[in-house]
Amino acid sequence: MSAAFAKAHVPLGVEALARFMPMHLVLDAAGQILAAGPTLLRVLDGQPVLGAQFESVFEVRSPGGAITVGDVMDRAAHRFRLTLRNRARVGLRGVGQRLPGDGRILLNLSFGIDLIAAVGEFGLTDGDFAATDLAMELLFMAEANASVTRELRGLNLRLEGARVAAEEEALTDPLTGLRNRRAADLWLERLCAAGTPFGLLNLDLDYFKQVNDSLGHPAGDFVLETVGRILRAQSRAEDCAARIGGDEFVVILPGRTDPGILASIARRIIGQLQKPIPFEGKICRISASVGIVRSVDFARPDAAELLAAADRALYGAKHAGRGRALQLGVGG
Amino acid sequence: MDALLLRSLQGYVCDTFGVPLWQAVCRRSGLTVETFEPMLRYDPGTADRLAQVAADVLGRSVEAVWEDMGIHLVTNPRHQGVRRLLRFGGIGFTDFLHSLEELPGRARLAVADIDLPDLQLDELGPDRFEICCQSRIKGLVRVLVGILTAMADDYGSLCLIEADDQGLGRIQVQVLDRFHNTARRFDLAAPGGAG
Repeated sequence: MSAAFAKAHVPLGVEALARFMPMHLVLDAAGQILAAGPTLLRVLDGQPVLGAQFESVFEVRSPGGAITVGDVMDRAAHRFRLTLRNRARVGLRGVGQRLPGDGRILLNLSFGIDLIAAVGEFGLTDGDFAATDLAMELLFMAEANASVTRELRGLNLRLEGARVAAEEEALTDPLTGLRNRRAADLWLERLCAAGTPFGLLNLDLDYFKQVNDSLGHPAGDFVLETVGRILRAQSRAEDCAARIGGDEFVVILPGRTDPGILASIARRIIGQLQKPIPFEGKICRISASVGIVRSVDFARPDAAELLAAADRALYGAKHAGRGRALQLGVGG
Repeated sequence: MDALLLRSLQGYVCDTFGVPLWQAVCRRSGLTVETFEPMLRYDPGTADRLAQVAADVLGRSVEAVWEDMGIHLVTNPRHQGVRRLLRFGGIGFTDFLHSLEELPGRARLAVADIDLPDLQLDELGPDRFEICCQSRIKGLVRVLVGILTAMADDYGSLCLIEADDQGLGRIQVQVLDRFHNTARRFDLAAPGGAG
């Protein structure tokens, strides 16, 4: 920079100063406020600041220990932080310069990151900021980011809803509304892994083939739907009733290992299934055989092993005559 | 960009003509979905195609559908977001017009990969402007016409806004009266806090 440029003075009227720096402050050498920019006056909210001492209006946050504007100028004229004594929540950032001649001091202040709070608190408008100020960009960005975040949160919720629905669908037998084979396997694996004791009923319909053959598939489907309703009605919320094959079902009963109770549940279900099912003027009659196993009868319960055992119990029940429940003994 | 337009079109048609009509439009387009996510991606051209089907179903020109959607985007009282973001552009309508060139840059601050079209503003004379909007989405120019119309109203300005018919992406804006009406109130602070 040439000497001529370095010495050049730029005379600037009060109005131009207000436009360039709407938050400026002019003080005399002793720290008395002589003039303030329009936005700063607005922020000071009608406080009679002209003629007041700097330290009665502002509290210096940094440099630490500074109180008067003189302290600030001596120690950190290039960058200092203030708060307003009347509104301590809003922080201000500033830069200062002693003016040539009579030692007057010019400060220019800005909100920094407290801009968003300040805009709300003081009801500022875009006219309160210099055209070169990035205030509008900061406010725009804060609001745009909030919109995008809201949109992403909504998208996540919608995707999560779709995922839950798809998962539910993947684990449900569409005809009966019961769980399907995959769901039953998952239940068994989970209970075995957690070591939760449970009872397992393996249920196979009797005479279902006859219904299908004599009355047709619509009657068969209707019977299966009815079985679904009965099994749902006979199981607790924590139980899992599933259709694992054409006319084969399981009911998994966490916490139920009393042989008497399991047998009575099986008998109750069989009793319900034996009730005549009217379909389009005809009567469908079915029954069921049930094999019962308990996880506590196995040293290390395993889903496949339990299902195989339940299948053997079921085979035994069928063999003993239809409409029976058979419980497999220890080590069976 | 297709995603944003598709979501906006969905909102406009559902709000104005009802969900069943929107579902009919989607079915007629042979689409398997009926809701669009603004943050996902869709095949280029989907927006133009769907708007044409909507126009056919409604018995209106596709240009009119896009323009009305642009107006709805700004004036819909349930979603003030677009209007508010645009109002950050300036104190008056002409300031706002001058801010349009910065709009894609601003939008990229919020969503880095948003592909807003480049906008160029030329001042043809006192209160006469031409905006050039180049996009592979044909409807976008008409959406912008709708947005400009609604924003002129928001600022209380009386304007003549016309798009060229040749598909060159040019919009002529003539500001007839800057202070025709009182501008709608705009507080810089977002209603209900940070956003």
